[in-house]
Amino acid sequence: MRARILWVAALILAGCAAAPDSANAPTEPPRLKAALEAESDGAKRYGRGDYAAAARRFDEAARTYASIDDTPGAARNRLHQARSELAQGRAEAALLTLESAERGGDAGLVLDALLLKAQAQLALDRQAAAQQSLAAASGQCSAACPQAASLHLLQARAGLAANRAPDALAHAEAALKLLQGKDEAAETGNAWRLIAAARLAGGDAGGALPAAHAALEIDRRLALPEKIARDWLLIGDIRKKVGAGGTAAAYRRALDVANAAGLADLARIAARALAADAPVLQGGTP
Amino acid sequence: MSLLIQHDSDAAALRRGIRRFLFVAVLATLALLAAIVVRQGLFRQTTSYSFVTDSAQDIAKGQPVRIAGFRVGAVADVSLKDDGQVVVTMEIDADHMRFVTYNARVELRKEGLVGSPTLEIVPGPDKTRLAASQARLAFSRAEGLGALANQVRDEFIPILKDIKLITGVLADPQKGLPGTLAQVRASSEALNTLLANGNSQVHLIGGAATRVLGKAEEDLSQLGQTLAATNARLPGLIDRTQQVLDHVEKITAEAEISVPPALREGSAVASDVREIVSGARQAWPIRNFVNAPAPAKLKLDSDLRGEAGRAR
Repeated sequence: MRARILWVAALILAGCAAAPDSANAPTEPPRLKAALEAESDGAKRYGRGDYAAAARRFDEAARTYASIDDTPGAARNRLHQARSELAQGRAEAALLTLESAERGGDAGLVLDALLLKAQAQLALDRQAAAQQSLAAASGQCSAACPQAASLHLLQARAGLAANRAPDALAHAEAALKLLQGKDEAAETGNAWRLIAAARLAGGDAGGALPAAHAALEIDRRLALPEKIARDWLLIGDIRKKVGAGGTAAAYRRALDVANAAGLADLARIAARALAADAPVLQGGTP
Repeated sequence: MSLLIQHDSDAAALRRGIRRFLFVAVLATLALLAAIVVRQGLFRQTTSYSFVTDSAQDIAKGQPVRIAGFRVGAVADVSLKDDGQVVVTMEIDADHMRFVTYNARVELRKEGLVGSPTLEIVPGPDKTRLAASQARLAFSRAEGLGALANQVRDEFIPILKDIKLITGVLADPQKGLPGTLAQVRASSEALNTLLANGNSQVHLIGGAATRVLGKAEEDLSQLGQTLAATNARLPGLIDRTQQVLDHVEKITAEAEISVPPALREGSAVASDVREIVSGARQAWPIRNFVNAPAPAKLKLDSDLRGEAGRAR
């Protein structure tokens, strides 16, 4: 009881001690503060993987910024919103959101917008449009720009989609080199996954397997179910190509993760892969 | 010589010491005896009462006597008279005599149902007159397990007799179950005969049905009249329904005007709450602990769904 009273007294004293400084500190206008809070809340929800709620909060923040003529704030939140929509698999909606962000015309965010646009276009399998966006992004990004690794990774994805495996591998490895020593775990995982996919596509299935496992390791650490399930699918594909055992087990892991996370589409893909692998197993392949 | 004188004086001192010790020991013994005597109540002033009973069962010399649960004395003597009756004499502290009324009675009770027996003096309703010394009081025994068993037995015996009687009646070939079954059989035969009679009577009903149809025709003509009356009243009813519908429409229109403001008010209340929370956050000293969030920066992720790894 006495300890509790001392704590309360100490808190009150701390509040009193801090009062004069904070009284003189400038406070944000209410609407700006509301916008900042919505943006911050959206970021928290995005971090928790609640992408739908995050998109709504970013939309609210963007509108509030627009209402006080804060163009950079509005554009920034439109980009966040587009990113949340992409994470939900709503690439079309993300492209529309990015269009409204471009209308804001903030030069500082153009590169980010182009990268997101390329990502959405790749998701929609619009390869030519993606190439254009990436070319435009390359023009905006010098060698030292912070988004250089992401640009390389998107170029690797574009290369892989166009069946240019060596090109894809080169970009992915360049990205991995740029990411070394940086706190960008998600991008590092993406780089390893692309390296694995590029090696598999290039016929180096033996080299693909450790890269895929490296990607899986990172995605597990980040606790991202969709990526984990896709990593297991990739591992299953590689094992199948190599002729090593455990193909069905890998597909089954992908199926289990997808089912547990409620990813119906991914679960269907995994189930199809598992079913396709079954005759091979019956034929006696290990 | 001096040595002999010294020896005599030492012997005298030893004798004095022994005498003193013996004196103290005798005093202590007397005190102990006095304590025992007082504890045993030998100097206590008591009064004796007695009662007569058929049996000395559960009564013994030294047994405690209580009034309202307090021990006030003990049984002093239990003796058998020439006529076979038992006289029990009790010694009660004189201090507690005031509770023993002339019509008090002594009850032999057991602590719980099966505990040790005690004698309890229960004063009578008239407390103005006390019992005289050496008075003979009435005596009764509280019901123990034996009495309860006897009571249960007394209750059960008539029930058992009834059960025996009922089973006897049921088994009776004339009035019991066999007789009843025979009666049911006879009744079913009678029912069959009745049905045969019924068949023959159905033919007779045909004639009656013709008469009923004639009556139905009359009823239908009456129904026609009723419908005509209803037809005359129906337009009024429809008008009334139309009025009700108009009323509902009016209420709906009013609701259309009044409900949105109510919703807006709800929204305003929510806005107010948000404002209050926001205000509280800005109030000192809470604002010292709540910083305005900085613009968010999301981590770069060029493959948000991990789609690059495998052809979809």
